[in-house]
Amino acid sequence: MKTIMAAVVALTALLAAAPVHAWTSDPARSTLSFTATYQGESFQGRFRRFEAKTLDYDPAHLDAARFDVVVDIASIDTANSERDQALPGKDFFDTARFPQAHFVSTRFRKGADGRVLADGTLTLRGVGKPVTLGVTFDPARKTLDVATTLHRLDFGIGGGDWADTSMIGDEVAVHGHLALRP
Amino acid sequence: MLRNTDARWGAIAQAFHWGIAVLIVVQGAIGLSMVELGTTPTKVKVFALHKSIGLTVLALVLLRLAWRLGQRTPREPPGPRWQRVAARISHVLLYLLLLALPLSGWLFNSAANFPLSWFGLVRVPSLTHGYEPALKALAHGAHEFLFWLLAVLVAVHAAAALWHHFRQRDDVLRRMLPGAKEVR
Repeated sequence: MKTIMAAVVALTALLAAAPVHAWTSDPARSTLSFTATYQGESFQGRFRRFEAKTLDYDPAHLDAARFDVVVDIASIDTANSERDQALPGKDFFDTARFPQAHFVSTRFRKGADGRVLADGTLTLRGVGKPVTLGVTFDPARKTLDVATTLHRLDFGIGGGDWADTSMIGDEVAVHGHLALRP
Repeated sequence: MLRNTDARWGAIAQAFHWGIAVLIVVQGAIGLSMVELGTTPTKVKVFALHKSIGLTVLALVLLRLAWRLGQRTPREPPGPRWQRVAARISHVLLYLLLLALPLSGWLFNSAANFPLSWFGLVRVPSLTHGYEPALKALAHGAHEFLFWLLAVLVAVHAAAALWHHFRQRDDVLRRMLPGAKEVR
């Protein structure tokens, strides 16, 4: 038991010493937006409040990278007041029960095309699903862009009669643009 | 008889008149009841139907106006000058309302940042640059106000037609009715 504990401590110390940059994002210049379809036409939306709690990233040390982002779902804004009143409701995001969405990365890797991919778990409307983000890091501009396509029905968003994907498309393209500090 | 004569309205004018009249009644019924629906996909579809019918009315009124302006019209029935002026004013107002009502609806939809399609077949462009809350409130108010104005005017119009028919015993109503015999 003691040797296992010692090994764990040593390993943790080793990982903690790994040279990864712990970034933070500037909320004023960062955005989390999405594109969905409604009645056959695409529309844009965004979450005005989200927090990147952990943004450990260094392209040279992907094994030490880590993302942990929390989103305030009630901050959704699709520039349509009727829609924005309905989305926090029970049929959709049910923010009364699930006020936040949470993404935690588990692994970073390089895809076939050389692009960095962040595998992780997204918990949305209380449902946890594996999700992979495409990661684009611009060290010169100090920005981090993440993108993925989600399926709203996977998370039960728009259930019951709203599951009709000809009315609201299942696929939602998500794009996070983080302006990094320091 | 397709075209208007000196004595009566032709079949085309009659079709426009009664067809649009029916659509207005249907639109009013749908419009007044649809706002009471709870937020469900059914409500979305009913609103979409209302908008499609509204756009149809707009197109039909424009076609009807073009037809009317290019045709002769039946002679005005005999009567005092105030009657002729009142008739002309109310008919012009009816045309204006029939154009303003669907246009205000289109503007309302655009400013509310909803998509618009004609019966799911043709995508209809927005009249605004996305969401414009002030314009939305204005268009919403106008759409409702103009409807009530139209309802009052239609009531006056129908009452006048019945007055012509039963009180004046002239052929004003008869000329707009399909199949009625021509009156010398």
